[in-house]
Amino acid sequence: MKEKLRIGSTQYCDVLVIGAGGAGLRCAAEVFQRKPGARVLAVTKVAHPQKSHTTTAQGGLAAVDPKDPIDKPIYHMFDTWKGSDCMADQNIVRKIVDAAWEEIIWLENRGMHLSRDIDGKLSKRTFGGHTVNFGEASAFRAVYEADRTGKGIIDTLWGEALRGGIVFLNQSMATELLFSKGRCVGAVIFRQKEGEFVAVLAKATVLGMGGSGQVFRVTTNCRQNTGDYLVLALEAGLPVMDPEAVQFHPTGIVGPGILASETLRSVGGILRNKDLEAFMVRYAPKMKDLAPRDLVSRAIETEIREGRGIMNPDHKIEHVWIDVRHLPDHVHDVQIPEVASFFRKFVNIDPKKELCPIRPSNHYHMGGIPTDEFGRVEKGPGEVIPGLFAVGECAAASFHGFNRLGTNSLLELITMGKFAGEKAVELIGEKSEEMPAGAGERTFAQFSGFLGAAGKASLGEIRQTMQAVMTEKVGVFRVAKGLQEAISKLRELQEKTGEITISGKSLTMNQELIQRWELKNLLAVSMVIAQGALNRRDSRGGHFREDYPERHEEFNDHTLTYMTEFGKVNFGKRPVDMSLFEAKGANYEKFGMIERKY
Amino acid sequence: MQEMYDLTLRIKRYNPEEKRSWMQEYRLQAGRILRFTDVFRKINNEIDPTLAWNSSCEHAQCGTCSVLVNGKPLLACELLVENAVAQFGTTTFTIKPIPIAPLVRDLIVDLEKAYARVESVKPYIIAPAENRNQGKEYQITPQVLDEYVEATRCINCFCCATACISSHKNFLGPNAILASVVRLMDPREQAREERLKLLYSERGVYRCHTSKACSFVCPKEIDVAHFIALAKEGKFKR
Repeated sequence: MKEKLRIGSTQYCDVLVIGAGGAGLRCAAEVFQRKPGARVLAVTKVAHPQKSHTTTAQGGLAAVDPKDPIDKPIYHMFDTWKGSDCMADQNIVRKIVDAAWEEIIWLENRGMHLSRDIDGKLSKRTFGGHTVNFGEASAFRAVYEADRTGKGIIDTLWGEALRGGIVFLNQSMATELLFSKGRCVGAVIFRQKEGEFVAVLAKATVLGMGGSGQVFRVTTNCRQNTGDYLVLALEAGLPVMDPEAVQFHPTGIVGPGILASETLRSVGGILRNKDLEAFMVRYAPKMKDLAPRDLVSRAIETEIREGRGIMNPDHKIEHVWIDVRHLPDHVHDVQIPEVASFFRKFVNIDPKKELCPIRPSNHYHMGGIPTDEFGRVEKGPGEVIPGLFAVGECAAASFHGFNRLGTNSLLELITMGKFAGEKAVELIGEKSEEMPAGAGERTFAQFSGFLGAAGKASLGEIRQTMQAVMTEKVGVFRVAKGLQEAISKLRELQEKTGEITISGKSLTMNQELIQRWELKNLLAVSMVIAQGALNRRDSRGGHFREDYPERHEEFNDHTLTYMTEFGKVNFGKRPVDMSLFEAKGANYEKFGMIERKY
Repeated sequence: MQEMYDLTLRIKRYNPEEKRSWMQEYRLQAGRILRFTDVFRKINNEIDPTLAWNSSCEHAQCGTCSVLVNGKPLLACELLVENAVAQFGTTTFTIKPIPIAPLVRDLIVDLEKAYARVESVKPYIIAPAENRNQGKEYQITPQVLDEYVEATRCINCFCCATACISSHKNFLGPNAILASVVRLMDPREQAREERLKLLYSERGVYRCHTSKACSFVCPKEIDVAHFIALAKEGKFKR
């Protein structure tokens, strides 16, 4: 089999998009709009771009309508800053919020089937953490396509990319980034169906590879979200920013962790414990069930830890209830049909008549590959790697800081995708690079290691143990001792991977081989998350340390982590951009190191 | 309520290197609300890591995990063990890949080839109505949107195309027709002539035999046949 471990062919393009979800396809569409006829090649790990994880986003897309008499961009910026626990970069917050409405119109004009009011204008609804007048009242700021907004975006962008003449490499993954004289010139791609490695050389390489949720036992993320992109970066000597900033969605459906959208709470769903008490009032007296995600997640975990949870007999997991029984039929049928159907389909429960079991589920990685405001990847603060971009969940610009507000991720995908597209187009005129020497060597060393290893260790067991450790010790609540235990367990698991035998040696659609490669990535991602969490001795947003429950000034910077050898993590820092505060304009004091209370 | 089920899964395997197919039997225990994707994972983890199957979101929103279970095309991620036992009246299940595209391995088919049919009907607005780029949204009343919004929920899982009694070689298939009909009913689309030509082409809507199998099997419960019927009765010809 060894003779097949080589670059089978080389392809050339202007822009290589790795990951064809919302961010990657928006970038591609921007390239086509600015430069019709550009050669854009998009790689996706799923069977077809329409299968991307973006398609599962339900609730909506935050954007301030300039015609709105009450809402203003400054309120959206404030909510994002406050929600981020003062860790979002204010230059990014401002740029994205200001570009938001134009993007809504762009999508609508290109055929997205957004929900409408009676007069035919775009409907809007409210979401947790989104307010007007700096926290005074809930803002109606999210446009949406029923409860399938992400699907609407993907369908629209897939169409636009097709119209532009995009070429897709489906069911394929990037195993190595290629560099020449400090510049990114493309990547090595493994085509699973063909069992072939391809080198793709490009003027601009854009990573839009999604999340890393498979690190945890209970996650809303799709099967392919194994954090591969973070390892692509780490192996190339690039940093991962804020890996410890992980969001747990409060309302995952018990068992598979499937997301029961915040929409359930925004239309009036109420969280209840074992005694049927509506407990959120004790944690967030004003916002109650609409408080931001991390607060609600911790509230639920606290209820469970203090014995007010309910044990599910099938999945052997404790949970609380969400109660939507009091909502009128038309809300069930019109506003939440897909979410309500999840309970019917996946746990055999009728939400009109019964309480629904939910618990915190891993949902989103705020941390990622650090970029500037154009999505250009940074090796250190202000030090851009030419030719390399990262957008969407895999990147950290950072718009979300340490906690993402609902409906802000879809906004970030499309805006950052667009900004990266604008910059990528500028590189198209540059002269083509040669294939760098040694391209693929690292990939082939890894794969021949996977195929050649022998022993009795079980791939599935190692993966499940890792997920359990990460969920238990690096999840909603964290503490130094638990994090150290997690780190040593991860080292032990990494050792064990050397004893995994791959039973089938074929390269063609060898699922076991792919999972072995993913396990390498999952363990590395787990390691940087756990190390980042141990290093940050304070609490903010999605990162909560029981031994350091407050925010501390010495941790007001972003964490940069570098790891070229498993387990050896080096740390750096990137200051948080505070340009809104420093500009001293109207309401600037709202953008200082404010308290995060709801 | 039974807590655990003893299942027998007879799964069609395919080895592309040897171009060889066979049926393989797996016996295992599964809890009542495990889904078939969980069951496949259990097989991988506990019995046979080489069994290849496809999925992505695993909550019925991407349409990657379509398979035939006892002859019925469905999404493996939303078939609960206890529902399967009730629906099919057995604990023995025969599982095969959907026959709408060339096989890659075991339960995995080349979805990209199946998608070529959807892409041929241009699933986007070919020629947008005039006010594009004037910084405004089109106004579409809920009444107009309601006429076709159901059709926009299609996830291209190809269950309908699998169930369809018309030939895959000659017919674009129900989901491709649906994608075409969406844009004919969308007031933003101006390229109606081109769309109608596609819809009534050799591979178009008249290949449908009105079995309504598409509506019967659609996991998203879209009445696909209704939209095909609208096309057949000439609703979109002005």
